[in-house]
Order: sequence, then C-alpha cells, then structure tokens
Amino acid sequence: MKTTSESDKTIVFDNVSKFYGEILGVNRVTLEIRSGITSLVGPNGAGKTTLMNLMCGLLRPTRGQISVLGVPTDQPELLFRKLGYCSQFDSFPRGLTGREFIVSFLKISGFTQKQADQLAEKSLTRVDLLSAGDRKIGAYSKGMRQRVRLAQAIAHDPSVLILDEPLNGLDPMVRAETIALFKQLAADGLHLIISSHILHEVDMMSDRVVLLNNGYVVAEGGIKGVREEMDVEHPVQVLIRCDRPSVLASQIFQNSDVVEARVHDDRKGLFVKLRNPDQFYLSLNKVVADGGIEVESIAPVDDDLSAVYEYLIGAQ
Amino acid sequence: MAVLERSYKRYEGALSPEWSRFLIIPQHAFRDVFRSKIFTGLYAMSFVVPLAFAILIYLRHNAEALAILQLNVVNALPINEQFFQVFVEVQGWIGFFLALLVGPQQVSRDLTNNGLPLYLCRPFSRAEYVVGKMSIVIILLSTITWVPGLILFLLQSYLEGWSWFSANIPIASAIFLGSLVWIVLLALLTQTISAWVKWRLAASAGLIGLFFIPSVFAAILNEMLETHWGNILSLGMLIRNVWSGLFGTFVRQAAEVREMRRGVVIRQVLLTEPPLWASWLMLFLICALCLWLLSRKVKAYEVVK
Repeated sequence: MKTTSESDKTIVFDNVSKFYGEILGVNRVTLEIRSGITSLVGPNGAGKTTLMNLMCGLLRPTRGQISVLGVPTDQPELLFRKLGYCSQFDSFPRGLTGREFIVSFLKISGFTQKQADQLAEKSLTRVDLLSAGDRKIGAYSKGMRQRVRLAQAIAHDPSVLILDEPLNGLDPMVRAETIALFKQLAADGLHLIISSHILHEVDMMSDRVVLLNNGYVVAEGGIKGVREEMDVEHPVQVLIRCDRPSVLASQIFQNSDVVEARVHDDRKGLFVKLRNPDQFYLSLNKVVADGGIEVESIAPVDDDLSAVYEYLIGAQ
Repeated sequence: MAVLERSYKRYEGALSPEWSRFLIIPQHAFRDVFRSKIFTGLYAMSFVVPLAFAILIYLRHNAEALAILQLNVVNALPINEQFFQVFVEVQGWIGFFLALLVGPQQVSRDLTNNGLPLYLCRPFSRAEYVVGKMSIVIILLSTITWVPGLILFLLQSYLEGWSWFSANIPIASAIFLGSLVWIVLLALLTQTISAWVKWRLAASAGLIGLFFIPSVFAAILNEMLETHWGNILSLGMLIRNVWSGLFGTFVRQAAEVREMRRGVVIRQVLLTEPPLWASWLMLFLICALCLWLLSRKVKAYEVVK
C-alpha cells in the first residue's frame, strides 16, 4: 500500500472493476499514474472511456478503489477542484459565446463572476482563442470548438486533466499546437490522461501509455520499456540498408540472437528479427568489416507504439 | 520529459455557496427561451388576466367609476376565495401552455448531445442539475401565477383594509401553495418527458396526451360505473380538487343520478368526488414516479447494451 504522501501525487486504481450489468467495462485494473502525459490506447470498446469516467467519478466502480491525488472519486466537491475533464462529445449549451461557456461552467463550479471572468480570459489565451472568445460557439470551426472545450477543462487550473480524444477534428497545424500545449501543461506538473486513436501522435507526446483491450490492461509503462518486455514473443525487428543483403543474411545467421532474416523487396536491405539487440550490434560490426559489406543505415522498425499496439491488440 | 513542480498557484479564494449553483442553469436558458417570438408573445399575453383581475378589484372599490360605468360589480363579483381560485386556475392553465413550449427541450438537448458530463464533471450533482432544469419552468411560471396572485391579494387588502387582510390570510397561502404544487408538477412532468422523449414535438405531444387522454378515460369510467372516482386518473381533476381543497371550496358530493319511472324515483345514486387526501396522494405518487424516472435517465453516460 502506498503511503499518504505518495498517493497524494498519483492517481491510483486499486483492483478496480466496472460491470454494466453483465457487460464488462474494465476488469481488475491496478494502475498508478504519475504526473506527465499518460495515454490510454486501445480499440473501440476496450474500456478507455470507462476508465476515464471512473477517474472523474462519473461512474462508480463495481469493485476496488480509486483515488485521484489522494481524493476518493466519490467526493466531487474536492475531486473537481483538482480535476478537469474534456469529453469527446461536441456538446455545448445553445446560444453561448466561447467566453460565456467557460464563465458559466466556472460559476457552476462555485467561482464568483469576477473570478470566473479572469480565469476564462486566462484559459482562452492559453488555447489561443482570445480573439474569438466573444463569438457564438455555433459559428466556431470544429477545431475551435475542440479548443474551447479544452479551455473550459483547464480554466480552473486543475492538477489532473482528463482528455477524451482531444485531437479529433483538429487540422495538422492546430494539432501540433495542441500537443505543444499538452507538453507545456505536463511540464507545469499536471497529470494529463489522454485517449487517442492517432498512435503516432500518442507516441510522440506520451511519457507512458496504458494499453487496453476488452476491459483489461494489457500493458503499461514507457513505450520503450513495454517493447523490451515483449522481445521474447515478438523479437525486435531492424532494417539494415546495405549493398549485399543476401551475403549479410548468410553471415548473421551464425549469431544465435538472430531469429529471422528477410531480404527487402527492393533487394537493398535486410529485415532482421532478433533478441538482445545490443549484443547483435556488436557482432554486426565484425560481420560487416570481415565481409566488406557497405552498410548505409540500421534502424529499428517496430519499437514504436504502432508496433506494440499491433502485437498486443491487433493480433487478437 | 522532465516533470517540474507546478509553476502556478491555484485559486484558493472564497467560492459561492453550493446551494446557489443550480441557478446558473436558468440564467442562460431564459435568454434562449425569450429568443422565441411565440413564447415571448404568449408570456406577455399571460399578464392580461392579472391585469383584468386588478381592474375588477379596483372597480369594486371605486364608487365613482362604477357609477360612470353603471355596473354593479359588488354583487355580481364578490372578491372572495372563489375569485382568487378562478385566477389561480386560469393562470395555471396558461402556465401549462408556456411549460409546453419551454420544458420539453431542456434535458433532451443535453442527453442527445451527450452534454451531461459537462455539468457533472463539476462539484455539481445530478440532483442539482435536475433542480436547475426544473427551476427554469418554476421561475417562469411563478412570475405569472402566485407572484401576480399575491400582488392582487395585497391590492385587495390595501383597498379593503387590514381586517380583510387578516381574515383572509388562508387565501394568500392557497394562492401560493396551490400555484406552487401545480408548477412543481408541471416542471417534473416536462423534465421527465424531456429526459425520455428526445424529439421535442413528440415530448410536447406526450405532455398534452398525459393530461387529456387519462381525463377522457376517467370520464368514460365515471359514466360507466356511475362514480366520480375515475377523476383520480385525471391530472386536471386532481389539481382542481387540490385547489378547491386549499381555497376551502371543495365539495365531495358532486352530483346525483336519479332514475325515474312515471314520475317516481326508482334509483338514486350520489356521485362523490374522491376525498382530498386521495388527490394529494395521487399527486405525490406522480411526482415520486417522475423523480424515479429522472434518476434512471439523468446519468453522465448512457450504457448502450
């Protein structure tokens, strides 16, 4: 069990299960989420939104306990001072401007009109929407609506920010800006929990990932660490660009770390599946030097989130 | 990525009291509601009746005006509990039509757009959300029912004197309580229908149906079984009996059926209204059912099985 001071800095899931009647939401989830960007990744119905709703106290766990920075999720008055949530749904009360939207929900949270005005100004500036703040949300583009939702989630300066599919509908430019904002918020010490289907962007911004499938956590941690743990079942694959791949293939098979070698379709490279990459790279130097093979590049091809996702979830 | 300590300080000042936060919901709703010209017109027209009643009260106390108009309002229209009951009934039914325009869209819009998490991800409960939505109907209808009703009562008291005021305090409480029961019932029914029927027109039709279909059924039942107990099914009759009870004008024996043959009564049936407690109990059960239905539907997330 964590000490109080430790749990005050983390989001803790202790053997949490959630069933909707007979339908499984998530099962036996034990997690500890530290500050920084944590991404929830998994196919539709994997349990990402359920996990987020449990964190927000919108759902009660069937079993187990959850605490967010030391606050149990059944204490909304304390919890929502520390937590901001941006749902995936494009939903706004009718007829409001961006500023009114943020101000009115700050007032629902208990802020005075003056304080809400100040906080709304600050959050609109943060998402670069200040100039459009007094326009009706109905006239916003999809990207602007996404940003104003983000602004309302961060307006009360939460310590934990839960964002359900926050990059949906954003054009590449705004996406890059939004990711930069997430990184800035994480650098400020916030816990950002993000769900997304855009794997290469998750890969780019996340400090760690939680992979979910059918309600179970199938892996969690840094992407590199998760990938390394899988190398027995799924050996690391590298692409060696060289002038004589067939010769190289025959040479490297003497190395016991090599599991498989396949010549690239363009016959200018070799795919090698291997265990213990560090040992392999050392022996490769010798093989290349002895055989007089000209190597152009060596690059791993499956050490990113997409590959991890494919191995752990895509195969099922 | 290096994770640093928080570089800003969170707001730690005073917050508004929890009980008052539901009032944020009607603030914006009113602006939306009054954008509709039909609603604004109907709302303005709903003040015609209070104005007419105020004129009647004034005329009754102005002998000169009566002489000029050659009216004998004093005998024709005594200002007593029945006068105010008629006012509450008329304004109550006008309020019903206003609630038809305002109520059915309130919760359904949030449910259709998955907007509830937006409210519930705050220190704001489902109960506060429902109260906030109900308060739209309650505040609007209050301004055309018990508020002008009590103003009329005070006008009459001012013109008639302190003794009339002190002798007729129960009328004031009947205006307030009778209107409030009706308004709360309408607010609950509109929000419940709004939560379960997402299409606005269908929700409005459902509300009308809820009032009139059971009334027709009650009338058929009364006719067939020679009773008035069927009225227990009619929302209109229930609230009428409750109003009559509050104003002290309730009479249980409503009618009499006589079958005669050759001038001789061969069968006589006394038709009695259900007792007042039965009407109150029925209203209470309807409100409880509405709350139960709302609690089933107003959730942050709907689980699709």
